[in-house]
Amino acid sequence: MKPIEEAIPVVEMRNIKKNFGAVQALRGIDLALHHNEVLGLVGDNAAGKSTLMKVLSGAYIPDEGEIFLEGKKAHLSNPMDARRQGIEMVYQDYALANNLDVAANVFLGREVVRIRLGPIGVMDHRHMEQETKSLLNRLKIDISSVRQKVERLSGGQRQAVAIARSTAFNAKVIIMDEPTAALSVAAIDKVLDLVRELKAQGSSIIIISHRLEDIYQVSDRMIVLRQGRKVSDTPVEGDIHEFRERVVAYMIGARDDFREKTVAG
Amino acid sequence: MSFINYAQKMVRENIREYGMFIALFIIMMVFAITTNGLFISSRNLVNLVNQTGYIAVLAVGMTLVIVIRHIDLSVGFLAGFLGAVAAIAMVSWHLPVYVVIPMILILGIVAGLFTSFLVAQLGIPAFVATLAGWLGYRGALQLITISTGTIIIPNETFNAIGNGFIPDIPDIGILPGVHKLTLILGLLAITLFITNELITRRRMQKHNFEILPAGIFTLKLVFVSALIGGIAWILAGYQGLSWTAVVVLIVVILYDFITSKTVLGRHIYAVGGNPEAAELSGIRVKKITHVVFASMGMLSALSGILFAARLRSATTVAGTLFELDAIAAAFVGGVSAAGGVGKVMGSLIGALVMTSLTSGMNLMGIDISYQYIVRAGVLVAAVIFDVATRSQGK
Ligand SMILES: Nc1ncnc2c1ncn2[C@@H]1O[C@H](COP(=O)(O)OP(=O)(O)O)[C@@H](O)[C@H]1O
Ligand SMILES: [Mg+2]
Repeated sequence: MKPIEEAIPVVEMRNIKKNFGAVQALRGIDLALHHNEVLGLVGDNAAGKSTLMKVLSGAYIPDEGEIFLEGKKAHLSNPMDARRQGIEMVYQDYALANNLDVAANVFLGREVVRIRLGPIGVMDHRHMEQETKSLLNRLKIDISSVRQKVERLSGGQRQAVAIARSTAFNAKVIIMDEPTAALSVAAIDKVLDLVRELKAQGSSIIIISHRLEDIYQVSDRMIVLRQGRKVSDTPVEGDIHEFRERVVAYMIGARDDFREKTVAG
Repeated sequence: MSFINYAQKMVRENIREYGMFIALFIIMMVFAITTNGLFISSRNLVNLVNQTGYIAVLAVGMTLVIVIRHIDLSVGFLAGFLGAVAAIAMVSWHLPVYVVIPMILILGIVAGLFTSFLVAQLGIPAFVATLAGWLGYRGALQLITISTGTIIIPNETFNAIGNGFIPDIPDIGILPGVHKLTLILGLLAITLFITNELITRRRMQKHNFEILPAGIFTLKLVFVSALIGGIAWILAGYQGLSWTAVVVLIVVILYDFITSKTVLGRHIYAVGGNPEAAELSGIRVKKITHVVFASMGMLSALSGILFAARLRSATTVAGTLFELDAIAAAFVGGVSAAGGVGKVMGSLIGALVMTSLTSGMNLMGIDISYQYIVRAGVLVAAVIFDVATRSQGK
């Protein structure tokens, strides 16, 4: 039998609304993510995927709606605040400092301090390098040295560093916005392997991708957004062709599982 | 990997860092030959160090400013202005030197915070904000010296910062005419350096981190020790270590420590590398901007003190073109115009390069107009070198 806490979603977003001027980017979206689940978030351009995840990661404050973390109501006032509460976002453009090395990026903003002299903290380089090393090993990320500058890494390696960084501090949920968008085919496979590895190690993940085969390969469940609304929330199953047809039908508006609810509400 | 291969790889990967040492070495050799050895005489080298002082401290501050993708054009006249304020404080207000120096440094910090307020809070490009500072401080300098002209500073303690030397230990019969305390300090520095390197290496080895091959490591120890020893020997042959050199060493060591070992330093480089990523990681970019400009202001004040002390006076044109020498020193020393890259040690070497050029060309009797053109050429060469080595590194 599962422990009780696993029945409570890690993240629950209820009736999230967000407007940008006249644009209704999110029109009342519900989303739940369960423990050790990979949730795929798909939808056409401008459907509201990034906005929804920016709300969850504290970058946007929603106009309406509530967010619960492990059943408790959460207030996320900015990205750092969300991060402290266990919500990690991997940004589309990696958000790494290319002039720093791998270990420095993994610990950026959370440096381990050895001695504190007033406002000046002396870093524990060795500790951070070792932690980074074992993190990369654990996630089977192939980077020869944690002292390599990020600018010398390939696109796939950079994405791996960005993802590793998001897992380094016991995150409750890891959000990835288009983690494969800028990558070569070989690098995409590595990133997807990494997502599977994270799931195997117990992480809960939300992944946005416009590549439906990525979602199909790694997700347990999938939510489709269309014009700021949720139109589908189903397990990922069946063969890839059938899956693709189904998703496209939702994306273009041919199918909509939540229409009645919207009309009624 | 063989020794030679490894050495080649090291040079290739660190060409930016070695480049300026090579440049300095070549410049010194050329001047040594063209001045029949006059340039590398103890006396001239000691002078060179003292002349480098007021540019070097500016270059150290400028390094951090450029690292966070800004620039500060106001530092020269701010230094000149604050030097004049120091002179007035001692001459007209009769304040003791121990009050004047901290006061001037604090004024420098305030001036730096004023700049960072314009840059970080109001979003004015640093180029524009500090150009206004350049004009404003220049005007202020002329204004406070208009009635007096050059202000002679009678305070010997103050002037010693720019002209004096550390005292020697009493003569014990050996090495007459040599500044023994300087030699002892040199030996101490070598010992500290070697023990530190050995301890670090052993610790790295214990935790399975990559380390330099033994051959290269030994070479590095020998080279740096010889360099420190050589400099100490040359300085000891004249009057020893000057107070200016002591001040510069303290500044460089302090800033090197902050930039390489502390969280603050890490955050400064992160802001330079990717401000958005830094902000998303919880680093307050504005705060870093304030700290960096405040430090620049304080070092401008220090530069003004060193310069006024060296001239034993405050002049109406003090600080003219210091900003350009400091910026050039930073670029020659390996700071990247794109931000995020550069070390204070490098900028010290860069400052030495710039002052060597001035000093050497003066000794050769080269006309000042050619001197400007040569220095312009060196600056452009440094930036081209930067751009070329960056694109090659990718
Ligand atoms: N910061 C913003 N300001 C104004 N409009 C925005 C902003 N962010 C997103 N939008 C709008 O909200 C809608 C949803 O955008 P987004 O969430 O980025 O979509 P997706 O990630 O699904 O492509 C789009 O119409 C977009 O133009
Ligand atoms: Mg998007």
